[in-house]
Amino acid sequence: MGLLDIVKKAAFVDILRGMSVTGTYFAVDKVTVEYPKEKLQPYPRFRGAQALLTDPATGDTKCVACMLCATMCPSQCIYIVGEQTPDGRSRPARFDLDLSRCVFCGFCEEVCPEAAIVMTQRYELATYDKSDFLLTKEKLLANQAWVHKELHRLEPNDRGEG
Amino acid sequence: MATSAPPSASVEARVEGRRPTLEELKERKARSRQRGQRTGELMTLSLGPQHPSTHGVYRAELDLDGEVIVAVRPEIGNLHRGVEKLCEHRTYHQIIPLTDRLDYLSAFAMNHGFCEAVEKLMGVEVPPRGRYIRTIAHELCRIANHIMWLGIHVMDLGTQTFFCITFRDREYILDLFEMLTGARLTHSFARIGGVAKDLPDDFDYRCRKVIDFIPKRVAEYERIIKYNRIYHKRTKGVGIFTAEDCYAWRVTGPALRAAGVARDLRKDEPYAAYDEVEFEVAVEYNADVYDRFLVRMKEIRESCKIIRQCLDRLPGGPFLARDAAHSLPLKKDVLRSAPAMIQDFYHVFHGPHAPKGEVYRAIEVPKGEMGVYIRSEGGPRPTRVRFTTPSFYHGQAVPALCEGEMIADFVAIFASVDVVLGDCDR
Repeated sequence: MGLLDIVKKAAFVDILRGMSVTGTYFAVDKVTVEYPKEKLQPYPRFRGAQALLTDPATGDTKCVACMLCATMCPSQCIYIVGEQTPDGRSRPARFDLDLSRCVFCGFCEEVCPEAAIVMTQRYELATYDKSDFLLTKEKLLANQAWVHKELHRLEPNDRGEG
Repeated sequence: MATSAPPSASVEARVEGRRPTLEELKERKARSRQRGQRTGELMTLSLGPQHPSTHGVYRAELDLDGEVIVAVRPEIGNLHRGVEKLCEHRTYHQIIPLTDRLDYLSAFAMNHGFCEAVEKLMGVEVPPRGRYIRTIAHELCRIANHIMWLGIHVMDLGTQTFFCITFRDREYILDLFEMLTGARLTHSFARIGGVAKDLPDDFDYRCRKVIDFIPKRVAEYERIIKYNRIYHKRTKGVGIFTAEDCYAWRVTGPALRAAGVARDLRKDEPYAAYDEVEFEVAVEYNADVYDRFLVRMKEIRESCKIIRQCLDRLPGGPFLARDAAHSLPLKKDVLRSAPAMIQDFYHVFHGPHAPKGEVYRAIEVPKGEMGVYIRSEGGPRPTRVRFTTPSFYHGQAVPALCEGEMIADFVAIFASVDVVLGDCDR
């Protein structure tokens, strides 16, 4: 060990240099948010919990129970039972999505030929009750509140992202 | 204390900027592995699977003689999920989300590797824009992986604050990924024949901001770590693994390049847009933990260069192949045209058409070489998929890397080859 090293150790040079890095952070803007009080806005493409869109023309869901999403889903978390309405349309009598199985890959949205199921901005999915993870048709329709407004417009005759 | 050579001998033998010969490296390796007092009495220590330094659920049984590691018996498989078996029951499209979960720290690289293999099997041509977007995403992935690696590696050596600094910078990359793909960690972004979505409107601007910023951050990491005496003492001359050893144990990626071998599949067997951009392969010559750090820092800088070139030269046109038999149609076409809707139904209920045959395709993921072997009997599902992921080979080389070293160096050496257990166990 040279004399220089001994002087360096005695004067805590390394520690002072380290503290100078720490010190610069007093002058830098903070990068964190105080989460429960302050929330981050996800980007438009964010893949959160799914929603079923309503068709304003009929007031019912756009879904025609074609089973594409249920077939494509890699974790098989969608369960659909279709039915015929009196006026001849096809619609889901049951549309259950098990969020505890869902991997949020977005394939259901990608293959839907009616732009009926979409991924929303909803990311706060923690719950005390496991049954909340089962999204029934009603819950999926209620999730429309979290749909990104510009990406999936809800006017009649508009068929979603394009 | 030491029996043959003083502990710092291997550090002093090292001259910066000079390439050591293989003999010198071997001699240094032998010297670093003779340190410590041997008593002849063995103690068995179980490290992991829940130890924070084992990067997941890697368990190692160490036979210790005093402080010297005599034998390492690694135990893997705690995170085994049967991905390869699951692949046999899914169509090629549905396998893409599974590949995210192999190496979850560089998920896009895994998507990309799988899709490259499937495209080779099916003979799909990816349009130029798709190739460029893939290159951008892959390099972002590499930056995020190396930054994450650095934070964890340095935390293993005892610096908590540095971990927070690197994680802050990784967030900027994850934000870009969220903007581009919709997910922060499991992107599922590559598709057979291209990528899932085009670049969003202000991606170019934000991405340029981040890649201008990252090299400055790397300079700061180096200011903190590269000239830190404690870090030097913990890493220089430790865990020497020569090119010969790397070949013997199939260690690839930064660990191989730190041993002086300029092996990089991005250069050697170009895929995506790597043959159209200029970059250098980061190489160092001392083959120790410190040089693996240097290689990774160089690679981050090179990745920023690649991304900048890709953004400058980004071609127009489609980002997904218009190949009805093999790739999913675009959503906007499905909503407006009948043939695209038929294609959509065909791909969901039947799957993409693959010819009979077998392929192997390897790409350079952040951790090393990742190969995908697919055997197909025709039809929409593979008969057998095999992932040869770098973490598995790096994990198996740990005994060869660590035997003879000190117990305190185990965490440094283990981290330096970058093992992620999701990738290792599959």
